[in-house]
Amino acid sequence: MILLCGIPTEPPLALVREALDESGVPYALFNQRQFSIMEMEFEISNGGSVGGTLRVNGSRHRLEDFSGVYIRLMDDRVLPEVKNEPADSAMRLRCRVLHDTLTRWCEIAPTRVVNRASPMGSNSSKPYQAQLIQQYGFEVPETLITNEAELVREFQRNHKGVIYKSISGMRSIVQTMTDEDDERLELIGWCPTQFQEFVEGMNVRVHTIGDEVFATAVHTEATDYRYAYRQVGDSAELTGFELPDELREKCVNLTKGLGLAFAGIDLKITPDNRVYCFEVNPCPAYSYYESNTGQPIARGLAKYLAGN
Amino acid sequence: MWLVLCSANDISAQWAYQGLKRRGLDPLEMIYAEALPFSLSWEHRVTADGASINLTLPDGRLIEGGSIKGALNRLIAVPSLQVAHSPDGEYATQEFSALFLSWLYALPGRVINRATPQGLCGQWRQISEWVWLASRAGLPVPAFKQSSNDLINEAVIERRLFPMGTPTRTLIVINGTVCGANVPDVIRDGCARLSELAGTALLGVEFAQRSDSEWLFASAMPMPDMRYGGEELLDRLASILLGEQEQWQEPTARVSPDSLKSRSSLSTGASL
Repeated sequence: MILLCGIPTEPPLALVREALDESGVPYALFNQRQFSIMEMEFEISNGGSVGGTLRVNGSRHRLEDFSGVYIRLMDDRVLPEVKNEPADSAMRLRCRVLHDTLTRWCEIAPTRVVNRASPMGSNSSKPYQAQLIQQYGFEVPETLITNEAELVREFQRNHKGVIYKSISGMRSIVQTMTDEDDERLELIGWCPTQFQEFVEGMNVRVHTIGDEVFATAVHTEATDYRYAYRQVGDSAELTGFELPDELREKCVNLTKGLGLAFAGIDLKITPDNRVYCFEVNPCPAYSYYESNTGQPIARGLAKYLAGN
Repeated sequence: MWLVLCSANDISAQWAYQGLKRRGLDPLEMIYAEALPFSLSWEHRVTADGASINLTLPDGRLIEGGSIKGALNRLIAVPSLQVAHSPDGEYATQEFSALFLSWLYALPGRVINRATPQGLCGQWRQISEWVWLASRAGLPVPAFKQSSNDLINEAVIERRLFPMGTPTRTLIVINGTVCGANVPDVIRDGCARLSELAGTALLGVEFAQRSDSEWLFASAMPMPDMRYGGEELLDRLASILLGEQEQWQEPTARVSPDSLKSRSSLSTGASL
């Protein structure tokens, strides 16, 4: 039995659900929007074994029977069912405690969890994660974080191109530095900002699931391919891409080394075949890549969850 | 140069600072969390040669990464009042937090405790995780149950194993050794094992003690009141930071449920 957690219509969850349906693997849904009809409890007995139950609208599941759990949770504080509730409402608290019970169980559950919360934390700081990525044999772009404009200008002089983006996991649009940016560079005195050398090459998104690897080449002239239409007026083109065995292995090792079961790894392969790793996304929206290429990522995920 | 990184109101860190100075760590710089966001200059780089940090503190002190030999790190949060009320306050707060995690992780030398995403001075865990780890470490733990019907707002109230006011004793583990006398071997070994499993070199372990002979795990934390460890702890901290303890190996978390026995027997058996 698999446990799927999130909002069932959200594409990454919907795709893995379809894959499980196709293969006849039984699953239960932790539908966040139906929190009011769910109850969950777990206990830790002496020796550290973990057990418990999840009840969904009268159906009772033993937590020990879940062989895999896929977590794709939205922020429960902004669910439509509670967003108009006062901060101290009983309904809001009930919703929060249910989610907390789920995530706490997932941290210690002796089953396949995609992904546990703790190892996902490396994505909260890009330069921190870059230091971890280096330990797995990848190059990372030269990076400067500073509040001093003069250091940025010197950094610019030493590189053909420079981009800037958020330090944290908060989503930002990667931008190339231009002369116009120089005029407002002194503003970084208020908050240290991250600058990176621009690396020429082809973007490759690699999804790893256990030992399985799906690589997608992304063709675009945009600095941030997620916003290609906005930046260059045309959407990025995505195609399946075959990674060399050594690189596949490095990606799998990186994912496992970060404590993750499933990851979206952002690579750039330069014309002289150097491989830079920019980021490891621990909760990838893989459906975008699957729908553009037909790569069976959801099927791979379902297979992993089923323990195959 | 050695660093003591802490909040200005961290009495325990002040105590350790004085004790370490007496033991010959010189120069030893005390850096307050409250001052760090106002640093005059931040320069944190990640290059092919690794990560580096140079910063100029508001009082003019220059902290160059290359000259740091070690640090006692007691930072728990990044003060963000200077940006919290600006239009991009939430974004700026996240940016400062991400920067702090990275530069603290990049500190050279021996760092007690090195920053993690779950805590700037070591991994903070929910009580359910500590109970699970303590149990695996062989410590006596009380029964633990968490339910969606508990209706405890953990943003306001800490989930506890014992009611406030229960008599407790705190032991300090440093680099695999428990400081203090009159501790049963099973507790001493369990605490050392817990520190190892948690990947936390300096760990406080609290026990409920309703009698002298009762030891029941109550909580653990990576930023304990170090005064419980007494002069023995200061000796050990100084020895580690001065490089005298050859056995020092920076810990990493050893146990997650994924490292336990494969659950392949639970496979649904369905073909995909």
